[in-house]
Amino acid sequence: MRIAIADDETDVVNFLKAIVEEQGHVAAAFNDGAALSQALVRETFDLVIMDWTMPKKDGLATLHWMQESLQERPPVIMMTNRTAKKDISDALNAGADDYITKPEDRTVIAARINALLRRNAGAGAFDTKVVYGKYEFNRIDQTVTVEGDTVSLTAKEFELADLFFRNRDRTLSRNYIMETIWRTTAALATRTLDMHISRVRAKLDLRPENGFRIFTVFGYGYRLETIEVR
Amino acid sequence: MLGNLRFRLLLEWAAIAILGTLVVASASNWRGTASFDNLLFDRLSTLSRPPADQNILIITIDERSLKALGKWPWPRKHHAELLTRLEEAEPRSILLDILLSEPSNEQDDLTLAQAMRGKTPVYLPMNFPTPGGDGNNYDIESPLPLFSKEAEGVGHVNIEFDEDGIVRRTSLCFKPEIEGRSWLHITELVYRLTGNPSPAAKRTNNCEERLLVRYSARRSFAEISYVDALMSEIPRELVKGRDIIIGATAAGMGDNYPGPFADGGLISGAEIMANGLASIRRDDFITQVGKSTGLLLSLLPVWILMLGFLRWQPRTALIVSLSLVGLVISASSLALFGGYWFPPGAALLGMLLVYPLWGWRRLQAMSDFMASELGDLALESEALPLPLSNDRTSDLVGRQSAALATAIDHVRDLRRFVSDSLEHLPDPMFVSDNSGIVTLANHRVGDLLGSDLKGQTRAALLDRLIAPQHRTSVEAYLWARAHGRDEAAEYVRFASPGGSTFVMRSADIRNDAGSKQGEIHYLADISALAQAETDREQALQLLSHDMRAPQSAIISMLPAIPDKDMGHRIERHARRTIQLAQDFVDIARMGESAFEGEDVLLADLVRDVADSLWPLAEERHVKIVIEDCSDSGFVIAEPDSLMRAITNLLDNAIKYSPTPGKIFVKIEHSLFAGSEALDVVIHDQGKGIDPDLLPNIFRRFSARAREGSRIKSSGLGLAYVKAVALRHGGSVEAENPAQGGALFRLTLPKASEVSPNLDA
Repeated sequence: MRIAIADDETDVVNFLKAIVEEQGHVAAAFNDGAALSQALVRETFDLVIMDWTMPKKDGLATLHWMQESLQERPPVIMMTNRTAKKDISDALNAGADDYITKPEDRTVIAARINALLRRNAGAGAFDTKVVYGKYEFNRIDQTVTVEGDTVSLTAKEFELADLFFRNRDRTLSRNYIMETIWRTTAALATRTLDMHISRVRAKLDLRPENGFRIFTVFGYGYRLETIEVR
Repeated sequence: MLGNLRFRLLLEWAAIAILGTLVVASASNWRGTASFDNLLFDRLSTLSRPPADQNILIITIDERSLKALGKWPWPRKHHAELLTRLEEAEPRSILLDILLSEPSNEQDDLTLAQAMRGKTPVYLPMNFPTPGGDGNNYDIESPLPLFSKEAEGVGHVNIEFDEDGIVRRTSLCFKPEIEGRSWLHITELVYRLTGNPSPAAKRTNNCEERLLVRYSARRSFAEISYVDALMSEIPRELVKGRDIIIGATAAGMGDNYPGPFADGGLISGAEIMANGLASIRRDDFITQVGKSTGLLLSLLPVWILMLGFLRWQPRTALIVSLSLVGLVISASSLALFGGYWFPPGAALLGMLLVYPLWGWRRLQAMSDFMASELGDLALESEALPLPLSNDRTSDLVGRQSAALATAIDHVRDLRRFVSDSLEHLPDPMFVSDNSGIVTLANHRVGDLLGSDLKGQTRAALLDRLIAPQHRTSVEAYLWARAHGRDEAAEYVRFASPGGSTFVMRSADIRNDAGSKQGEIHYLADISALAQAETDREQALQLLSHDMRAPQSAIISMLPAIPDKDMGHRIERHARRTIQLAQDFVDIARMGESAFEGEDVLLADLVRDVADSLWPLAEERHVKIVIEDCSDSGFVIAEPDSLMRAITNLLDNAIKYSPTPGKIFVKIEHSLFAGSEALDVVIHDQGKGIDPDLLPNIFRRFSARAREGSRIKSSGLGLAYVKAVALRHGGSVEAENPAQGGALFRLTLPKASEVSPNLDA
């Protein structure tokens, strides 16, 4: 896969390049938004990782430009020092597919890159059984088994858990989740989703110790992160 | 206020107009000003007396004659002899003004009758004494038939007295009974010797009308004493062709009357007759204007004045009043010389009444108004209190004038005070009226824009004052304010073309009655403040982004370090640097914006925090045990800050926990300030908090290193937690519970219950 990396700091570029190449991908580096934009017109990339604060054309401007100008747009990971909830939701709502706050562990970055490159997220959706670490999903019974114990879930809870695991390390917007599980975004109390996720989290005991955690992206959505147990 | 005054003045005016009209009408109707009018008439008459008629000779029965001929009545043979002697000189007529109603010596009577029979016409008087005898209204004293049949005519000689007892008029005939016989005056009879009635008699329908006679100067008619005429030779030319009037003039004979001579002198009946006859001949009787005409003429100047009072200045009113008085008198005088008499008294009375009355009432009304206005002014609370004079030495008007002068001085002071205050305001300020014209601007505005701005439109001024990109927001602010919109901001901020930053605040100016008079616009130059804001923002940017970036770079390069343990420690310090900078920025940013909470499932937020801190806890062999007793309780929270607050608490707990250790985190229901709340309780197994530090533990920069603690803190963390708790309307407490360790309790108000449809 070809991955574009845009950041004005050489150290960061090298760091990202190392991670990308370690995963067996090809990296192309750019120092500013304008250079990235020119390359995006001429070449095809499978993923773009870019900094928010860049000379000439910043990340958000580049993102907007991509939305308007590119017919086929590769997924984008915004990677910045900004931590404010509003910045994060702004970037995601402007069309970024994920958002990484610096500094972040290389394993996490790698997981997030791979999550976005897993184009066929739906693959395996029709397998009857799937195993993610301790968790074994049985799609016929709609049950999850954790270390031999069957966890009882409602139909919606199972669908939700299944959706998260299939899209692990990928940031899902609330709208996407609700449309996928409930087929609607209307007339659904926002608290409903929070409470379902809370239950799934509690019932499946999704904690770092168990290899997964649910991360809330306030103002946007959720992400199921895989944790590499040291 | 002023309306009341106007109304009152109008009322007073109407009252005076009515009063004036009534007074003039009464005076005119009932001749209330007769004495004045008569006096004026007499005086004026003196100015132009006609010369005595040279065709009349009066033969006077005077004191000298009485002395020579003895007591009255004389034997009638004297009269006979006189008549005979006169006839020889061929007079035109003889008017014997001696009442011959009683018979005397028969021989004498016959001789007299004989004498009358001559070719000279002789006229005899008749009298109508009232009241008459035997209960009659009057008697008729006519000459004996013996005489009347010899006389050419018998006419009445009634004297017509005016109200003041002065004889000014004569009537050409007399009708004792309304439908009875009319007797001609003896003078008219004399005139009719010509064969025709006099022009005056022809002119009037009513011969009884009392005509004003033009009197010649007293004693100006030719006269001869009776005794001279009887005893001496009468010059023939003195008598020939003349009308002879023989009458008494001696004081004791009761035939003298007060005449219109202004000096109170008497005039004999004979002379009155002479004047009457002369007037008839000359036909120059004075016509007195009729009653209704007189009334109108009297009212006219008064009404002119009254109407004028409504419009004129007091000075004009005085001048016009005096001129009108003079005009009326002169007009009246001129008319008199022209043969018409208009008594001006009523008009003068009216004018002399209304002018001072109006002056007085107006002064009174003004005075009352002024007193009440000054009273009101004194009651109003002002920037400067109104000093009121207590001077009792002068009169009311004097005192009020003094008070008014004081009030005007005071207002002047106030105005200067206001304009000085305005002028010396440290910031630019200007005032615009309702039509958007700048009426007032202090010199600071002038300094900004460099010219006199009064009279310009506000829009033009703002165009010059405000950078184009901010012009619309200022206009929107003014519009929202002018239309009383609730969402109108308290002020508007803009940059000037020169690069300064201003805050403009506008307020309505309203008058006493509450209607809007304009707007006052106050500008504050906040350029320094704006610069400081920018500097602060840059400093915060530096801390939050620019400082973070190299730390992130450090961390990203650590995998390259062969010594993994060393790398790990470097990473911890780098992360801590980021954390410190973040804490500082977050505290500084807190309160910059209004609280904007959203629904947050508290237990999940705590789990998110715990999951984030898992690597640290794992490293320290600390287990975080979460117990959720909240039943999916929601709070209204700003997730960013709340997450960081809980992170700080849990991070502390991990740092101060023994290794291995446990941290108990419990989310539970509680009550806070009487309302439902949710608590996050974090209880560690460390050594607890130093009791000395406990009271101030949430204060910023309070040193809170615990004994034996490996980790030092800037103290920002807990201060931040406290700030967040307060911002969320909650609280945070710390204690050292009996079972050991430190316990932090963060309390947040619970969001209102909404029943979520779980299986929708």
